[in-house]
Amino acid sequence: MTLAPFVILLFAAFVGYAINLRAAQAIRADGVRLHSLESFHGLFSLLMVIVPVLTLVLIWLAVEGAVIDALLMASLPAGVLDGLGSGAIQLIGAEIRSIAGGRVFGTPDDWKLEAAERLIGYRQASSWLLIVVVTGVSAGIVYFARGRVASGFRARQRVERITLGLMIFCAVVAIFTTVGIVAALTYETFRFFQMVPVTEFLFGLNWEPQIPIREDQIAAEGAFGAVPVFLGTIVIATVALVVAVPVGLMTAIYLNEFAPHAFRKTVKPVLEILAGVPTVVYGFFAILVVAPALRQFGASVGLDVSGNTALAAGGVMGIMLIPFISSFADDALSAVPQSLRDGALALGATRGEMMLNVLFPAAIPGIVGGVLLAVSRAIGETMIVVMAAGLMARMTINPLDSVTAVTVQIVTLLIGDTAFDNPKTLAAFALGMMLFIATLVINIFALRIVRKYREIYD
Amino acid sequence: MYDAPHKDKDVTQNDIKISARDVQVFYGDTQAIKDVDVEIDDKTVTAFIGPSGCGKSTFLRCLNRMNDTIDICRIEGKISIDGEDIYDPSIDPVQLRAKVGMVFQKPNPFPKSIYENVAYGPKIHGMARNKAELDEIVENALKRAALWNEAKDRLDSPGTGLSGGQQQRLCIARAVATEPEVLLMDEPCSALDPIATAQVEELIDELRQTYSVVIVTHSMQQAARVSQKTAFFHLGNLVEFGDTEQIFTNPKDERTESYITGRIG
Repeated sequence: MTLAPFVILLFAAFVGYAINLRAAQAIRADGVRLHSLESFHGLFSLLMVIVPVLTLVLIWLAVEGAVIDALLMASLPAGVLDGLGSGAIQLIGAEIRSIAGGRVFGTPDDWKLEAAERLIGYRQASSWLLIVVVTGVSAGIVYFARGRVASGFRARQRVERITLGLMIFCAVVAIFTTVGIVAALTYETFRFFQMVPVTEFLFGLNWEPQIPIREDQIAAEGAFGAVPVFLGTIVIATVALVVAVPVGLMTAIYLNEFAPHAFRKTVKPVLEILAGVPTVVYGFFAILVVAPALRQFGASVGLDVSGNTALAAGGVMGIMLIPFISSFADDALSAVPQSLRDGALALGATRGEMMLNVLFPAAIPGIVGGVLLAVSRAIGETMIVVMAAGLMARMTINPLDSVTAVTVQIVTLLIGDTAFDNPKTLAAFALGMMLFIATLVINIFALRIVRKYREIYD
Repeated sequence: MYDAPHKDKDVTQNDIKISARDVQVFYGDTQAIKDVDVEIDDKTVTAFIGPSGCGKSTFLRCLNRMNDTIDICRIEGKISIDGEDIYDPSIDPVQLRAKVGMVFQKPNPFPKSIYENVAYGPKIHGMARNKAELDEIVENALKRAALWNEAKDRLDSPGTGLSGGQQQRLCIARAVATEPEVLLMDEPCSALDPIATAQVEELIDELRQTYSVVIVTHSMQQAARVSQKTAFFHLGNLVEFGDTEQIFTNPKDERTESYITGRIG
């Protein structure tokens, strides 16, 4: 039933296309010169049908539920809702809807059964009305578009303008989504800071987000000092970069300048495979291979290594970032003009000297941009740390200790039954907000560097 | 067609600096250079002329083994500098290139300061023991390249900020700073305006006092103005080689005559 309006809409669009195409061809067959090609006349009709009618259908489906609910509640017998809170009224609505859906529990009141009948009636009426409206409007537009077909009609310009509008719409979708995300995040963060002071969150050294479930329960008051959590993220990200930056750069330098052609041809795709491994698989690798190995190694040299260290999580995250950094550095090095390589070699520089003194400095802005993007990936990475890092927030920078990370805390805070009126859950949004701001700043910085660098050799 | 050279053409007293015997160059399966024999004198400007794709640049790049950086390039025959075979396995191409400097078609200063550009060669070859010596080398090189007066107050500003002609002279200074014995120039003026070209040509004539200069050029007037010896390349062959005056006034081969009179090329 919900599919029908779409089918009608598409059918009308193609009919409109065919009618206009024929009409335009007929004009041309009479020897009259058309301003636009026949297909543009067809497309004009097609787009004129699809764009407004599709918008209409989507809006209809979006508001249909709310309108029907309002009608339903208004039609209930007088007095049954008196004295009930909004929660109770919502419950009644839900009960009526489930009765209408055929799921009846116990023996509902008669007025509820009647309401369910009415609800089904409203829904059917709405569907039929939509079909009638879509058919009518589409037919009207097809007729209107057919009326426009004439030798002087600028169908191409119209089609181009509609297409342009669609492209602008698509471009704006991403922007509005970002705005929406930020707004949602800001709203919840704001609510969190109404319960927990900003200063405690930003500067507190204690992170214990437990809240007693019952008033009389004996439990610690929650503590929301985010410093140890961010410290954990910083430790893990640092370990990751210590692994990824040198290895990635060396890989890029070797592949770019020294590797035989055949070797380069094999290794580059392999690196790309590494980039395509899902992070959850890296997580397996961290907990099943790296962490036990570290623990055994620690035991053999007399160190007490925890089971979920920053070293294991960060190290594996570093491996994940290697292809990211190496491909960025490779692009940056390849962008350095051949003439600079020739210039250095012709002065009697060895390939190593050329790389170190000429190519590398010329490529450094691109490389820095890549590294910064890798940093923001490292601090936003979730799955590896959820699997391999710890849960307890500790004030430590020892990579052999168990530390937690911002993303891990967000996941734990939002898992299970969550109530959106206590700081435990809302803390996740505050953490998310901080993370968002941090990665945003780093990304802007990185993109600016990359852009500046592009200007040099163009 | 032929501009009268303003310097004497007397080159008889000079020794042979570079000698090429039976040189063949292949790019993959295609032969770019066929049976080239040539002897290049010391303290002389030798010009390579010929139509595009005739192999003159390829041959020039054989003289400092820059073709080594191209994987598919293969060279046969014997090229020796001061009697030493430069393709002998015992020769290190890095050291050879320090001895045989090169200036390219397009100015290619490093994205560093003017000072660093010139000091780069001396630094990597350990030619200066301290800062004062390095300063002196840089100053001398810039003076020899006729760039000192323009650059002395802005040695720390980037070399890429200079004008095209200044950049090319900076590249010449950079090549001169390593004190090479031979200077190869691959169409050094093709990206320059006439005034900058005149400056570089004057410079080439100066450099002849110290070096053996080999210049590839598309401009026959330029070859006539700056060189004492000229080699004409056509389709990978060295067609004719001799004194510049003789090549331009009395060519022996009819292909040479056709080229300098503008009938082929």
